[in-house]
Formats: sequence, structure tokens, C-alpha cells
Amino acid sequence: MNVRLPRAATAAVAASLLLGATQQALADDYDLQLEVMAGGCANCHGTDGARAGSVPPLAGRDADYLEERLLAFKRDEVADTTIMNRIAKGFSDDELASLAEHFANVEQE
Amino acid sequence: MSDNSKPFQSRLGVSRRQVLKGLGAASSLPLIGGFAPAFATGSDGRVVVIGGGFGGATAAKYLKRANPNLSVTLVEPAQTFYTCPFSNLFLGGLREMSKIAHGYDELRDRYGVEVVHTMAQDIDPDGHSVSLANGDTLHYDKLVLSPGIDIRWNALEGYDEAAAELAPHAWKAGPQTELLKRQIEGMDDGGTFVLVAPENPFRCPPGPYERASMVAHYLAQHKPSSKVLILDAKDNFSKQGLFTSGWEQLYGDSIEWVGLSGDGRVTRVDAENREVETEFGTVHRADVLNVVPPQKAGWIAERAGVTDDSGWVPVKPESFESQQVADIYVVGDATVAAPMPKSGFCANAQAKVAAAAIVAALRGDSAPEPYWSNTCYSLIGPEYGISVAGVYRVMDGAIAEVEGSGGLSPSDASPEIRQMEAEYAVGWYNAICQDTWGTEA
Repeated sequence: MNVRLPRAATAAVAASLLLGATQQALADDYDLQLEVMAGGCANCHGTDGARAGSVPPLAGRDADYLEERLLAFKRDEVADTTIMNRIAKGFSDDELASLAEHFANVEQE
Repeated sequence: MSDNSKPFQSRLGVSRRQVLKGLGAASSLPLIGGFAPAFATGSDGRVVVIGGGFGGATAAKYLKRANPNLSVTLVEPAQTFYTCPFSNLFLGGLREMSKIAHGYDELRDRYGVEVVHTMAQDIDPDGHSVSLANGDTLHYDKLVLSPGIDIRWNALEGYDEAAAELAPHAWKAGPQTELLKRQIEGMDDGGTFVLVAPENPFRCPPGPYERASMVAHYLAQHKPSSKVLILDAKDNFSKQGLFTSGWEQLYGDSIEWVGLSGDGRVTRVDAENREVETEFGTVHRADVLNVVPPQKAGWIAERAGVTDDSGWVPVKPESFESQQVADIYVVGDATVAAPMPKSGFCANAQAKVAAAAIVAALRGDSAPEPYWSNTCYSLIGPEYGISVAGVYRVMDGAIAEVEGSGGLSPSDASPEIRQMEAEYAVGWYNAICQDTWGTEA
């Protein structure tokens, strides 16, 4: 699944339009299925995975890195993991790759 | 609210891209009039959300995120919502009430949700309308109920609303939580805090045991000769092994748990004398009595006709639409969603699935395939956290935990892992509140 937003276009739109229109632009590329799959991630990583706290943010990080980490969690290859190993096992490898791609392409505010 | 928006119609062939282009052209004109014109007028449909907790606030936000052209009205009596999660930390002296308080500014100002602070009084499913305590009537194409729980008063003999003022339940955060805190602070050293725990199902399965932990933490610091006694109507509880082991490590024998088989089931409450009687006639006297009573779906669910004989709400797994009433979606603690627990995390997760299903339905599309997850952290001490997690899908028409996923913190985890989980518990709380209300506590 490709959810890449047209970065330059979106930035230009955001700069020139009212808030609502920006929301419209984002909603235009809003992939309901992927948002539902990624929905649970926000509960610890913030909306769009963009919140920095004791739980690290996901938004805008390299897709390959995110995918590698998720697969490593799933295979119990990360030392001192607390819950991500338990969560990652709930998704197929393809789903984890989609999630990695999704969060890598989140527009940062 | 006026009834000036038409029922959902298709966009007559005008794509979102074309709409966007039109706005782009208009943007070369001077910008006047602030945000008001930017918010949609509900041309794609009207959704009313009742209840501004984890489920309702999340539903309102994610509806508008997915389709800003929906008219979304959130009905919630309180200006400030106090979360049950982390209310035990307030009792333990680890967090202020102001740090579990959340408002609705972001939903209103950033997402364009109309927030109405009044009580929903009745629902007419045939007429697709909601009547409000302020006299208004709201019409909806789709209704989301996130009513939380109500107490089944007198289901436990002697425990009614008056009794709750003497022996608080504190199972809805707010004045009850503050009352219980005052009672704990006023207790003499050497006293006994008695917690009465209910049968399943109830809001927040690990909640009573985290509460016992947090009260024990407070007592260990301020009234070290005091004890905590849990009288339980069941023989097993959430994260039991982890709690029991943590209690021994942190509090020695100052927390005692008595299960059903040990005559732990309370059958009568005498709130005035702070006494409870168990099934086989043992009377326990408390210095502070905390009764977590039997529960049911919030009462507006009954008015809507979505509850069954159990008092809870059966839903279609793929959308969380009521099994009994069309166009009413119910999320959170009120629902029958096992194996998902009644948790704030699940309410938030269910709300996202319901919001997506509604957005799709109003476009004439089928609902996306649902995914849910859950993580429940519990603090046994300030630096001692444990968790249970789960990932859920629809399998064979029912909600099921994905095989091999989820589970408990390891029983043999190091103190460093327990400390990390305590830190992540705080990280989780801050993140889910940001995701739900947009607020930083």
C-alpha cells in the first residue's frame, strides 16, 4: 500500500489555504484501511506516531529502519523489550512493512 | 442545533481533488473571516457522538480527520473530563487531579467538532434524533454512543447512591475519587482499607488491584501500620501472579487478598458502619470502605434500545454498530467486546474502527477490515510497572486475539524492566490523552 503524500504539493497548499482546506488535502490522501491498521500505535506513540516522550516517536523515521525494528521485535531479537514483542506478533510481516511505510511518510507539523 | 443539513448524498461526481483545486484558486484571494468558513457544514452527513471519554472524543476526532465534510457534534455534560486511568495514581499520591483532567478545545478548535455541554436525555432511533437536556434536538445519519458504565445500585444489598457518599466506589473519576482520597488521608495509622471487588465483567479488570497497590504505597509512607484487605467475588483476577509477586516484594504482608473460595464475596454493605458481610456470614469492619460495585452500560444505551438482558451492548464486530438498532454505533466499556477488556485503550481503538466504518458507510463503501490492540499498564509501585497486551482481529465473525500475540509482562523480569514499564505507563497515558483530547496533562 502506498500512502506517500505529495510533500511539496501539500506544503504549498498548507501555506496558502485555510486550516480546513489543509485538512481536506490531508483527508484526500487518508487511507481508511491503513489508518485503522495503524490506529492502535497512536495510543502510545501519539496521533500519527508523532509524539515524543518516554515512548519514542515513529513519524518521519526511515521506513527500512522501522520495518527492521518491527520484524526484530516480532522475532524476539530486541533485548530488554517490554511490550513491542507482544504487539508485533499480532501483525503479518507485510502488515508491519505497510505500517513502517505509513509512519515514515507522515507529514511532520 | 438546526436541522438544515441534508441527509447524506453522493458528491454528484465532484471529486475531492476538484474541490481542492477550487479552494486552491480561491486562496489567492485575501483571507478573511478566520476559521469559520473552513469548517465543513456537514454536506457529507451528520454524526452525533454521545459521551466525551476515551471512546467518544476519539470517535469525534477520527471522524473529522477522515472526512472534514462531516458535521460532527459531541454531546458531553462535563467541561472537564477526569480519566479513570491514573486516578489510582492520584490516590497513591503520585499525581494531581489536574493531571488527569482533559478538555475539548482541540476537538472544537482544530478539528471543527461542535461540542455541546449538556446531557443527552433520550434517543429516537426511528426518527434518528437525540433530545438534549437543554431542550434542543439533534438529528443524525449515524449516532455514536460512548456512554461508559453506570452502577447497578442495590445489586449489592445496601449499596445505593447514599451509601456511595459514605463508602465511595470511585469507579468514575471525579468527586468520588477526591472523596476516597480524603478518607484515606483521614484514616488513623493502623487502620484497614477494605476494597470490595466485583465479579466479571466490569470496567478495568486490573483496576481494583492497581488501586490496592497505590493505596498500599500511600499507607506505607504515611501510615505504615495500616493494612489493605481485598474482598473479591471471584477466584482469579487480571495479572494475578504479577500483582501477588509485586505486593510481596513491595508491601510484605500489608495487602491481603481473599477470593471467592476463601469467602471473599461480599453480599451486603452497611456503609454507615463501614461494615461488609460475606456470603458465609463473616463481617469485616473497615476504616475506609471502597466498594467497586456491579456495573452495566451507561443508561443512555438502555434508552437507545441497544442493551441486552445482560445490561451491556452487543455490537457487530466489524463496525461496532449495534446488533439491535441500525445506525447506532457503540464503543467502549458499555459494549460486549470480549476478549477485549473494558479499558480506555480499547475504547479508543474501538472508536477508530467505528469512525472508519461510519465514514465508509456514508460514502456507500464497506467498512475497512478492523484491527484493534490493547495495552493495560498497572503500577504496583512508582517504579514498578506491569502490563498486559493484546492484538485483536475479526475471525469467524467474532473478535479474537491474534494467536501468539499479546500476553503479560514476564514473571521473572528484572527490576530494570519493571522500572521501564512504569515509565512507559506514563508515556502511554500522556500519548493516549494527546490522541484522544489533544491535551498534555
